[in-house]
Amino acid sequence: MAPIPPSQKRPLGNVMVIGGCGFLGHHIIAQLVEDYKCKVSVIDIRTVRNRRPESDGVQYFDADITSMESILPIFEKTKPDVVIHTASPTLAGGTKELYRKVNVEGTKCVIEACQKTNVKALVYTSSASVIHDNASDLINADERWPVIPAKNQTEYYSQTKAEAEHLVLAANRSESYPRLLTTSLRPAGIFGEGDVQVLPPIVAVHFNNQTGFQLGPNTNLFDFTYVGNVAHAHCLASLALLTTSTLSTKPLDNEKVDGEAFFITNDSPVYFWDFARAVWKCAGSEKDTRHVWEISQDLGMAIGGMLEWGFWLVGRTPKLTRRQVRYSCMTRYYDCGKAKRRLGYRAKTGLQEGIERSVKFILEERKAESEKKGQ
Amino acid sequence: MGLAGQLLYYSVHPNQLRSILQWKIWHDPVHARTPEKESANLKECFKYLNLTSRSFCSVIQELNPELLVPVTIFYLVLRGLDTIEDDMTIPLENKEPKLRNFQNILEEDGWTFTENGPNEKDRELLVHFDVVITEFKLLKPAYKDIIKDITEKMGNGMADYVLNAEHNVNGVNTVKDYELYCHYVAGLVGDGCTRLFVEAEFANPALLKRPELSESMGQFLQKTNIIRDIREDFDDKRRFWPKEIWSKHVDKFEDLFDPKNLQKALNCSSEMVLNSLKHADECLFYMAAIKDQSVFNFVAIPQSMAIATLELVFQNPEVFKKNVKITKGDACQLMMESSQNLKTVSEIFLRYVRRIHKKNKPTDPNFLQISMACGKVEQFIESIFPTQDPKALALIHKGEISPEQAKTKAESAEANKDVMYLMLAVFGTLLVISGLMIGAAYLAGARFDVAVNELKKGKIFPKFDGGSEEAAKIANAYDHGEL
Repeated sequence: MAPIPPSQKRPLGNVMVIGGCGFLGHHIIAQLVEDYKCKVSVIDIRTVRNRRPESDGVQYFDADITSMESILPIFEKTKPDVVIHTASPTLAGGTKELYRKVNVEGTKCVIEACQKTNVKALVYTSSASVIHDNASDLINADERWPVIPAKNQTEYYSQTKAEAEHLVLAANRSESYPRLLTTSLRPAGIFGEGDVQVLPPIVAVHFNNQTGFQLGPNTNLFDFTYVGNVAHAHCLASLALLTTSTLSTKPLDNEKVDGEAFFITNDSPVYFWDFARAVWKCAGSEKDTRHVWEISQDLGMAIGGMLEWGFWLVGRTPKLTRRQVRYSCMTRYYDCGKAKRRLGYRAKTGLQEGIERSVKFILEERKAESEKKGQ
Repeated sequence: MGLAGQLLYYSVHPNQLRSILQWKIWHDPVHARTPEKESANLKECFKYLNLTSRSFCSVIQELNPELLVPVTIFYLVLRGLDTIEDDMTIPLENKEPKLRNFQNILEEDGWTFTENGPNEKDRELLVHFDVVITEFKLLKPAYKDIIKDITEKMGNGMADYVLNAEHNVNGVNTVKDYELYCHYVAGLVGDGCTRLFVEAEFANPALLKRPELSESMGQFLQKTNIIRDIREDFDDKRRFWPKEIWSKHVDKFEDLFDPKNLQKALNCSSEMVLNSLKHADECLFYMAAIKDQSVFNFVAIPQSMAIATLELVFQNPEVFKKNVKITKGDACQLMMESSQNLKTVSEIFLRYVRRIHKKNKPTDPNFLQISMACGKVEQFIESIFPTQDPKALALIHKGEISPEQAKTKAESAEANKDVMYLMLAVFGTLLVISGLMIGAAYLAGARFDVAVNELKKGKIFPKFDGGSEEAAKIANAYDHGEL
């Protein structure tokens, strides 16, 4: 895409990105720097990776969001107008305690810091999993679908994300701090350059020559969302909240962004195994589907269960788990129409381009790694 | 296929035979023509409709009487225009003004055209075109204006193509050109039909504000036919597949037909299928706006045939050898299912889209794009006929009901609502009728005050006193027991 000329860059004031060195966070920073007129600062637990060059003028602060003493001085120093809160342990990478500490306690701290320093807009990165019970299908789900209550939520990560989202939305125009506007974005299946959860395991299947299996009949549609589009939605949400904060009256119910949650997808659900095959193809596979052995969901669950049991005895996790079987057989896609209508969101990068960029990134990493090993 | 061949075919494909028989026996048109009331001239028009159209003649003749003649004339006019454009034996200097001026010819009493070559298949229509003109002039002015407007646009578009030497030698160049061509020959027809439907109040006028929807209706049919007819068109020295697409797969257009390039040719046809499939969701959207059953059938049947044809040609090597067609049994099945409602048509689309998805292979250069296009159709159908109900899900998660209960609860709530409305309707009707009766009695001089007084006195069952003696006499006089 052609760079936006400076005169057309829209102003966002002082923007603070929490988790700005993370996977999603650093894509948001890239867009802020390239497409908006704003002064960007970053809070992250460690700011060594994914840093912008000095010339971009991004300020980096090492801080722990679970501690008020740690972040408040930074807020006071940088005086953010907009705070984008993306920090969270990954779905696979945390313990229960960590999820609660960072997602719930951390978010409480962030909200409080925003309120104390007169921040105008807080954009929270929630997750599309807050309405998912990890077993049932989600068919064209939109924001009317209920958030799964804690007692029915089998994924602790999602439970803490839902709690945090609730706190953030409750802080919108609160009685004691009516000036703070908040919104929550729920991206579905983020992939892209730097992703550790979605694409690397899929690419690994290709390099391990395991593309010959298919769990389920592959009629299930699934949402995968390119990280650049998710970052774009965060910028749009920031802009919308800032605009709202200048209005003297509240926006109409069917137009408002503050106090609302939005699903963010690539607006093109695809069949689960088609996505995987498109990734394998991009990684170099020339196979069609003649070599593929289709395993029914029931059989897959049985095998997964046995493997889990067997590996549990030796204290490890198998490559095939019942959870994976369920996920590769379920329908899970959303309708992002609300974000399109109210935020003006469009998935600027299509799935094909998103896959190409991300797989290229993974292949380059692999190459660099093997060169390192070779030395 | 001879009779023996057919017998053999249907004995191993009983479903096909069943569909054909079902259609022939049970098909009950919403409206049927009434030939006894038609003028001799109009009957002639229908004769030419049956002669010139195979796919549309039956659906047109089952249209609502309000639109039956306008649509028939619209069809015949465009067919006439097409017959002039198609005929390579007519010299350019004669052809061009006829095409550009055809909308005015429609007002010329007695105009006929005999200069078509002897092999032109619809020659007869133009030789007797005066019957069409006579009938055209009898149409309501609003319908005439629409038909003339579309005729003018299409005629000029065709004339531009006839004059375009490059097009005639090399065929269509870019995808944009391809879509412009489809616009002239089909998109405009969609536009004209929509305006006729709205004028007759059989379609939601909102369609006029979304012209891309009727455009998609035409584009989807035309593009699908162009993919199916590749071999036949090639043999007739016509090329409609745009160079922008085929040049990605082969160097020369002819190479598509060389068996050793089969894989490349199939990849190319996949891209053509993808290009057509992109209109499918808008076609369903369009059909949601149709309010009359006969018009719905008229628009839905060709669309269902098109999605089935698209699935048939997808990854099918035969298209480069011959003209492939959906079987007669499938066609009957499709006609039955699409002459119902949007739900049944959506089910047809879903069925064929899933078959396309199943045939889609990762080796295809457009593998992911095709998968996305299929997903888009599925998502659109889900948006008009949702499977999940967020309200029921909310109740489940509140722990108020179990999933099974939720379903029965939703169903019984729906049923309760129905019962309530039914009761409301019954009592409402009773109330209105009683009101009318009491009102009428009052106007006729009924003394309700007297009746109320009597009731107050406790005379709930007034005794019949038989009237005056005189009256009793007269009554008795006529009381003939034996009668």
